[in-house]
Amino acid sequence: MQQNELDRQLSQIRDRLTGIDRKAGNRVFLTCESEHVYEICRFLFSELGLRFVISTGIDATDYFEVLHHFSNDESGCIVTVKTFVRNRESPELDSITPLIPGAEWIEREMHDLLGITFRHHPNLQRLILADDWPEGVYPMRKEVQT
Amino acid sequence: MDNGLLIIEEEARTALPIVNHQSSIINRLRLWSLKKSIWVFHVNTGACNNCDIEIVNLLTPKFDVERFGIKLVGSPRHADALLVTGVGTRQAAKRLQEVYRQTAKPCVVFCMGACACGTGIFEGAYHVAGPVDNIIRQVDPNAIIAYVPGCPPKPQAMIMGVVKALSALQPKEKYATERIGQTVVANPG
Repeated sequence: MQQNELDRQLSQIRDRLTGIDRKAGNRVFLTCESEHVYEICRFLFSELGLRFVISTGIDATDYFEVLHHFSNDESGCIVTVKTFVRNRESPELDSITPLIPGAEWIEREMHDLLGITFRHHPNLQRLILADDWPEGVYPMRKEVQT
Repeated sequence: MDNGLLIIEEEARTALPIVNHQSSIINRLRLWSLKKSIWVFHVNTGACNNCDIEIVNLLTPKFDVERFGIKLVGSPRHADALLVTGVGTRQAAKRLQEVYRQTAKPCVVFCMGACACGTGIFEGAYHVAGPVDNIIRQVDPNAIIAYVPGCPPKPQAMIMGVVKALSALQPKEKYATERIGQTVVANPG
């Protein structure tokens, strides 16, 4: 899929987004609210056939940002779905693992480090923290001092 | 080569009375057998694999440490030395102590690389239990520990570290007369 075709396809989901940010010719950020993230990822992955690369979790003090990165290998364009988890007490987000099995471990890692619970995740167990790490302490949160 | 290398020989010598200054024949035999052909066991306690690649490099024909009798073995029970790479992570600390406990004594612990020597760029991170020497000294305060810093240390520095650690195991006068006094044959045969 060429770049202009990709741009035309992305405009189909415009109503579910809160913003399209084009940082460069081959770098697109799609900002959305957390309830639409599964739907948008399904559109990118299943209908446009983009490749899932990786996810990022960020603690932005007031809220968490979760970014799912997709790549259109033909044009070299990276499309990032950026969403916000605003409830810091019990942060929850829809998992994309039922759709994309390759996202399982990165979601478990985000759960370990930031404490974001991914709904409908098949196996949300501890992945990278040490076995003796205390429950409920999430080392990548801003308030945790080491 | 010297700039990439720092060996705390004093530390190794202060640990000597246990193995060296006792004149029982068993202890002398132990030290002799330790120094003749060092078999090493490689422990990764959370390294980025760069030091590990350099250690594998030691075994290639270019450096070929087997000509010194240094051999990589698959079990700590066969090993005379531990090559530890990587900052001691919380998960790996207990495993490293267990591997050290299983290693036949006397043994030498080599901290390979900046992370193993002093946690490097990971200092203060949430997953770090401490530099490798702290973790080892929790189980054996008299452990013989040699440090080879670098990110990663060159294979030459690693060989030099092993040689210096071995020379530190023996009293210096004896070492000097036996080894340094010999004529160097530049092109044997």
